[in-house]
Formats: sequence, structure tokens, C-alpha cells
Amino acid sequence: MYGDSGIKLVQHAKRTQNLAHLPPYQTELVRAVTREVRDLNKDVDDLLEPFQGSFDPSEDQAVAYTLLVNHISMRRNKRCLLAYHRTRTDKLEELVWNGADVVDLSGQQVRDGSSRNSTGLTSGDGSTSSLSPQEEDYVRQYGDLLAAYKGQWTDIDLTGSLEPPRDLFIDVRVLKDAGEIQTEYGAITLTKNSQFYVRQGDVERLIAQGYLQKLS
Amino acid sequence: MSYYDVDAILTDGEKVPCRFELDVPYLGHLDNSNGLKPGSRLALPLWLAEMFALASAGEDSKPPLTLTLPPCLSEQVQAALKADPRAVALRDQSAYFYGVAVRMLDLFDERELSAILRRTFVVRAADVGLHARKAEESGLGGQGEEFLRGLDEWERRLFRRGHEGVRGAKEWTDNVKKS
Amino acid sequence: MDIDDILREVDPASHGIPLETRDLQALTRLWVAERSAPELLNWPADGLFERVNSKIKSQIEKIEDMTGDMDPKTNFALIVIQTELERYKFLVRSYLRARIAKIDKYTLHYLSTEELRQRLSPTELAYATRHQALLHNHYLSSFLSSFPQRLQNLNDTAGNVSMIDSPDLDTAVFIRLLRDKDVFGRGTDVDTILPAASGDILILRWSSAKDLVEHGDAELV
Repeated sequence: MYGDSGIKLVQHAKRTQNLAHLPPYQTELVRAVTREVRDLNKDVDDLLEPFQGSFDPSEDQAVAYTLLVNHISMRRNKRCLLAYHRTRTDKLEELVWNGADVVDLSGQQVRDGSSRNSTGLTSGDGSTSSLSPQEEDYVRQYGDLLAAYKGQWTDIDLTGSLEPPRDLFIDVRVLKDAGEIQTEYGAITLTKNSQFYVRQGDVERLIAQGYLQKLS
Repeated sequence: MSYYDVDAILTDGEKVPCRFELDVPYLGHLDNSNGLKPGSRLALPLWLAEMFALASAGEDSKPPLTLTLPPCLSEQVQAALKADPRAVALRDQSAYFYGVAVRMLDLFDERELSAILRRTFVVRAADVGLHARKAEESGLGGQGEEFLRGLDEWERRLFRRGHEGVRGAKEWTDNVKKS
Repeated sequence: MDIDDILREVDPASHGIPLETRDLQALTRLWVAERSAPELLNWPADGLFERVNSKIKSQIEKIEDMTGDMDPKTNFALIVIQTELERYKFLVRSYLRARIAKIDKYTLHYLSTEELRQRLSPTELAYATRHQALLHNHYLSSFLSSFPQRLQNLNDTAGNVSMIDSPDLDTAVFIRLLRDKDVFGRGTDVDTILPAASGDILILRWSSAKDLVEHGDAELV
């Protein structure tokens, strides 16, 4: 029946909401629902064709109700598609805020899937991108937009921690090699399994990205 | 109700029994027949059934179909809820039990059903709150899981909120003790 | 000093309190209110954020000047200033993020009328406009462009669900009365009028609380 594929898409969206990562884009389902809209629209045109623009609903109720069904079915499909895509862009935006690497996301994902799982952008085996090409574009553009917005507040670091600051300095353990970082007290080289006492503001990013672990 | 809300869309997808009152040859695809005849019975999703029930093409024409209450709100279910709201696994009736019920009450003037549902929600909500606290204190045991399985989406959300609230309060008091 | 102390100090008799302190108080109140209110509140028009920003800048410069000085006394002062700076930054960040979250959720709603647009800062307005355009483009390129023209809009309000989501103004909020007042609150079954005294804390719908807050009879907590 019309609308069944749309429901499937929304069920995917519902599952996506409760997942930490983004499951693969449902290209086939999206295509099916979109096709349904085009078919319905063609039906509408065909039904109206003999009337030459002078259709009176009370004259022919059977046609009137058929048009109504087709019309709401199209609107229903549109809502399902939008909700599905919106659920995913919400998730993608969240990843961008959390500092997922947006510039080389698609390319690296294919080559180096397993180590990029922490960004939540790869599917189970990590071998293919779970984003549609349009979503990859979107992530890039949203990343630029966020960067521009953040640029208005350079001193604040908008993507920094939303926990109220307690301690200026914290102990951290390095989980993954992160190279050298610059702090006000000079450069520190972060090699795996080492521990440091650092200013929280300097390393928040790295904690969010899973390079460092905060020790309490 | 929000346009992009996934739960609202899924609630709208729940089916309602309808009886067709008109001859509509083009709509056979709705019940896989050669066309809908007066008296054809079929289950339509809420989003479609509702529009139909409210529509009428001419000034004095009757609506093209009549709705009946879905099985999840049947006499038997109502009787069971009246006897003991806690004994019914609402989720087995519908994952969107209250969502569907509210939509139906918009279409039907059913005072008694409304009263039953209100009492059901209030009585069960107290239980949901209790379980949310217990889950935080001792984890979810077998009985707790059984309980969660019977909750509809509204109640699950209530449970989640309650659980988060209890946990948040606990974290806060722990922090106060520490500092 | 915690937020309550800060809030208690804020009363109309604030003459003699330096502008900087008043700014911090104003920022703190804005932050508390924005986090509690279900809808976006007005962006302050009095240049508060320009002042806060330049204050943060000058603190950062001060810290840069002081680093390198190994005198233990300076070092202690440095830690105090840095701690203060982190708190300042946190307030601004948390405030802006609370706003952005609301703007992202109901973008079309806040862009829909001039009155609502006025609530956003120029930067937020630019962000919201661009964000909406990106989303629309994304939908178009993913599926919407193959729809019939009349179905391509994202702002239809016909049909039984409006496409423009808007915040639920009946969400419950807590307010603290700033002066004695009979408070009118709407309810599901009955409405009530409750006599309340300055300092009382009430829970009620935002739609009932909004006027009180805007007239300064109460504040969000």
C-alpha cells in the first residue's frame, strides 16, 4: 500500500535516534518513496486530464476521493522523507559540533575505516561510507558554517565543554598518540599511555575526540 | 504535534478499521481489490482514515467512510483496564497506545473511554515512577524488564525521564557530599 | 559566591556597583533564563556582549603578559585570573549554545516574522538563514527536486500539521517572584489565581509566566 515504504524509512529514523553511530543511508528506500510520489502525481494528472481544468468535486465523488487519497499520500511520503533526512542531519550536525573531522571524512573512511569509528560516521565494518554523497556535501558545508559562526567568538571556543569549569588543571591519560600540542606552558608531546597534568581548556577537544581520558 | 517528530509519524501510521460507504473504483489498491464498494471493510492508517472521515465532497453528501475504534481500544481492553490498569501490557495492544487513543478521542465523543484512559495513565504513571527509582537503586532485574516490555511509548519516555531525574539528583547529592 | 548570591545582589538599587560587576550579573541572569525558557529570549540590545567580549580579550592579554614571570605572587594571581576567565568563557559559551540549540530546532519559526527575527543577534540571524538554506538544498538534492513543484515547499501550514515547528509555550518553568503579586496560572482543567510574595518560587506554564518575567515581576530560575 502507498505509504508503507515511508513508514519503513521512519522506523529507520527511530532506530537511528537511539544509536551512537550513523547507520548506512537507505538509498533504495528513499528512491522507492520518491518514486511513489512521482507515480501518485502522474495518477492525479491522468485523472484530471479528461476534465480539462473544470473538475467539480461534487459531480464525481469517486474521482474527488481518489484525488484526495493521492494528494495526502504524497504529503505523507514527503513528511516521512523529510523526517528521515532531518534525523540524520541532526546527528551529523552533532558530530560536527563534537569535532568529527569533516574535511577528509569520506576519503579517509574508505581507506582507514576501523580507526575512525570513534567519530561515529562509519558503518559496522567501516569499509564503506554510511553517508550519501549529498550528506557528505552537507557535512562539509555545515562544518564551514559552524566555523564561520565560531569565528565570531574566537576567544570563547563555542565547541568547548558545557560542563561548568571546576578545576583549572586536570590529570589526563593519553589513549592514542596525538602528536605535539601547544599550551601556555610550552609544548607537550602526547604519546600513548603517558600521563599529564594540564590545563583543562587546552585539551578539551582531544578528550571529546577520544585521544585523552580525564582522570578523576 | 511536530511535523518532523518521528514518534508522531509512527503513531499516524497505526491502522484503524473503516467501512467504506461509497463506490470508488480507482482505490482498489487500498485493499487489493478491483475497487472499493459500499460496505467494503479495510484497515487504513490514521493519517489517511482521519482525512477521509472528515472529508465530504458536496454540501449534503455524507463522509465516504465510517471509522470504528481500533482493536487496542476494544470493549475487552477497556474492561480489562477498568478492572486493573496495571495488569494490561499496553505495548501488546499498540506501541503507540496513548498516541492513538488521543487521536481517536479527537474524532469520537467517548466520555467513558476518556475517563478510563485518564485513570489508566495516572495509576500506571505512579508505577512507572516507582520502577524508575528502583532501576537506579538496584538495576533492572527480571521483573523490571518484564515491566518495561509492557509500556507504550509515552510511558517509556516517562520512565526514561524519571530515571534520568533520579540519577541526576543522585549525582548532585554525591557531588555536594564530596565538596 | 554562587549564583544565588549573585542574583540576590541584583536589585534596582545597584548604583555604586561597578559596570563590570553588573555586566557579570546580567550575563548570569540571561544565562539562567535562557536555559529555563522553552522559547528563545531577546538578545540583549545594550551592548552587553561587546563589553563582555572585550573584557575577555583584555583578560587573555593580561594572562599572556603575566606568563613567563616566575614570581610566585604573580603566579597565584595568574591562577585566579585564569579561573575567573574560564568561568566567564563558560557562561558565554553555555548561553550561546542554549540559544543555538533552540534556533536549530525551530529555525523556520524564528525566521518567519520580523518580530521573531528581532530576537536573534545579527550573527545568529546569519547562521540561521544559512543553516536553513543548507538544509533545503540538502533535501532538494536528496529527493525533493524530483517532487512536483507545489510539493517542494518546506513552510506549508495547510494540512493538519504545520511544517513550521514551533516551541511549546505551555512547558512548565520555575520562577522566583521579585515583588508581591497575585499570580494567574492556566491549567488543564481549571485556572488558578495564587497570591504570592516576593521571593516565592512557583512552577507554572511558561505561557502564564512570560508576562511576569517580561515586566520584571518575576525571574526564571
